[in-house]
Amino acid sequence: MEDGEHNGNGGGSGRNVVDIYPLSRYYFGSKDAIPEKDDSLADRIQRLKASYAAHGLRTCVEGVLLVELFQHPHVLLLQVKNSFFKLPGGRLRPGESDIEGLKRKLSRKLSLDESCMNDEWQVDECIGIWWRSEFETLPFPYLPPNTRRPKECRKLFLVRLPRNRQFVVPNNLKLLAVPLCQIHDNSKTYGPIISGIPQLLSKFSFNTIHD
Amino acid sequence: MVATTSVNMYPLANYTFGTKEPKMEKDTSVADRLARMKVNYLVLFHHSYHITIGFPNNADVQEHNHPHILLLQIGNTFCKLPGGRLKPGENEIEGLKRKLSSKLGANSPSFQQNWQIGECVAVWWRPNFETAMYPYCPPHITKPKECKKLFLVHLPEREFFAVPKNLKLLAVPLFELYDNVSRYGPVISTIPQQLSRFQFNMVSS
Repeated sequence: MEDGEHNGNGGGSGRNVVDIYPLSRYYFGSKDAIPEKDDSLADRIQRLKASYAAHGLRTCVEGVLLVELFQHPHVLLLQVKNSFFKLPGGRLRPGESDIEGLKRKLSRKLSLDESCMNDEWQVDECIGIWWRSEFETLPFPYLPPNTRRPKECRKLFLVRLPRNRQFVVPNNLKLLAVPLCQIHDNSKTYGPIISGIPQLLSKFSFNTIHD
Repeated sequence: MVATTSVNMYPLANYTFGTKEPKMEKDTSVADRLARMKVNYLVLFHHSYHITIGFPNNADVQEHNHPHILLLQIGNTFCKLPGGRLKPGENEIEGLKRKLSSKLGANSPSFQQNWQIGECVAVWWRPNFETAMYPYCPPHITKPKECKKLFLVHLPEREFFAVPKNLKLLAVPLFELYDNVSRYGPVISTIPQQLSRFQFNMVSS
């Protein structure tokens, strides 16, 4: 990101600078598959409905992890079955905080040691929240009017990566680094939540550390 | 992480709107504006815009407690956020306050509005003189032509706005803006996502 005349923010400019490191700094390995819970979309909806009946509002937390490649920020996405893309994350357990839950999920999907006791994830601010009034319907970035009992709330968090790290991914998933310019406005391939990430990140200024 | 994510919002009925002398828009279309930008490029190239939040206290149940954004409408269709171009060397916050007073402030000097500018919620870049803007500076662009920053403005419980006669001030609900690129353009139609992380406290009197 160029320095100079287009630097400077109003309000809390220090916070809005994010250091990112080249993709080449990171090691990618694989571990045993974590089987997907559902075979079909219908199964998934049924499972979510049963879960809602038991636990109420489903809160999911997801991490936006960034690396640099070709002078442009890239987001790390997991790809399931060569088609479906998702962010690393998942559902919170009852009573679990957003941050604890996200760290737990990140370790489960991206680390060799899933206990995350030794894992140090730096979870930064929440950058966006999406709401679903029914499990079958599209998510919206606000509580849809007339929705008294939303079924799902999904929170996206910026995660600051250290200068290097080992990513160990279940072998039924692929971990990809996708440039912001490719996901921007591309709801058809990535869905509304992932394709909206560049707009949620726009206030940040990315500082690539090369040394 | 000390982000202030809580924002107070007051009913639209708390605010009074009057009119003032027309403020002629320098450009009546995007093409005009691009032509002008080209000429001024070397001297002035930062823009700042803002958004304000309020919510209506009307009988329509659908819109109850749903945040609305104030937009200025020029002519019959073109909507924009209150704001404008910075002077060379001008501080962003000072410039935004200046523009807000110019577009929405009452003319009398005894009535100085004290605008409370909150955090920046979005930044858009225009790499070339074509119309497309992006929420990132595209790779290999070293001299973008325009930078547009959106700031959240915290409105006080009550306020008087004076709108130039040639403009209309609209309060538009977030659900109307979301995904509505054809009507509002890519910058305004994506504001709902950028506001999604805030918790809006509806304060009714």
